[in-house]
Amino acid sequence: MNDVVYLLAAIGLMALITWLLRALPFMAGHWLRHHPLVHKLGGSLPLAIMVLLLVDTAASQARHHPGLPWPECAAVVVVVLLQWRLRQTLLSIVAGTATYMLLLGL
Amino acid sequence: MDVRKAPAALSLPSLSAPVAMGYIPLGALFGFLFVQAGGPPWLAVASSILIYAGAAQFMMIPMLAAGLPLSTIGLATLVLNLRHVFYGLSLLNTLPAHRWSRWYVIFSLTDETYSVLTALPAELRVQRMTLLSALNQGWWVLGTLLGAVLGRQVEWGLSGLDFVLAALFAVLAVEQWRARRDAFPIWVAVIAWGIAQAVWPAQALAIAIGLSLVAVAVRPGPGPDNQARPPVSQTPTSQTPTSQTPTSQTPTSEPPNR
Repeated sequence: MNDVVYLLAAIGLMALITWLLRALPFMAGHWLRHHPLVHKLGGSLPLAIMVLLLVDTAASQARHHPGLPWPECAAVVVVVLLQWRLRQTLLSIVAGTATYMLLLGL
Repeated sequence: MDVRKAPAALSLPSLSAPVAMGYIPLGALFGFLFVQAGGPPWLAVASSILIYAGAAQFMMIPMLAAGLPLSTIGLATLVLNLRHVFYGLSLLNTLPAHRWSRWYVIFSLTDETYSVLTALPAELRVQRMTLLSALNQGWWVLGTLLGAVLGRQVEWGLSGLDFVLAALFAVLAVEQWRARRDAFPIWVAVIAWGIAQAVWPAQALAIAIGLSLVAVAVRPGPGPDNQARPPVSQTPTSQTPTSQTPTSQTPTSEPPNR
């Protein structure tokens, strides 16, 4: 991550796309509200993307150590349970990461 | 932080304080991870000023670190932030009259700001939304700056800290699941990732995003997301906005109260 031109281009692109999405309802609200595909994508894609990112980052973590990805799985379970019960984002993240580091250290 | 529980306290500090409690530490985490991944601190701050979308900003760290093509990063941003489209729909009629204020409010419509705004009565909303939006973004940028500076000072030798990102994605997935309990996207994601990993491991994430997009788009039958209904927002955070009564009938970018 030291190619400033690449980073700036990515940040600019992401800013543009995010802004367009936020501006879209103010430009085409009627069309959007009645387009079933928009509802389909908006309803299901965010969860799919989160799971993809989770699996991808956890899998790339697992490549750094020999053996099966048990530490990743156990730590993800800790995060999911804590977040589901308590909804304290920081606590879930810190506890899950601490669990992971402990398991790796064993 | 449930801001809707205190609708009586409508002063700016009391409205923005719960957002600050969430935004400063999470912004700091973003700044810290961005710098630890090798990015310059000023670009972390620039991201929080220009993009200002938490989940997308966290997502971009591993993508940038892996040097993924811009098209993949753009596509991922598009699908991740699609939910923002639904926020604007319910705020169509209450926007500041001033041109720049209006565009700023549209730009800065995050999950949390949306929740706070929808908790306000309409007339107060128009008055305060610009300043409130700016305050909220201020917390996010401040947090990013603190985290980025700290990330520069600290050399974290502990292995496993990268797991923070995976943990964050797990948290966001749980909140998505809470908003809409539909297992289909989970299966789609896992299967798409498996296929992509088998076909082209180096570009697994990009291929899996594309496969998921197609799978969700061609999902057959009147699924839970398929019927015509008023827009329902997806909040990955703790609040679920309630005032979901879209009042606009005309597709226009001009505010009716002007």
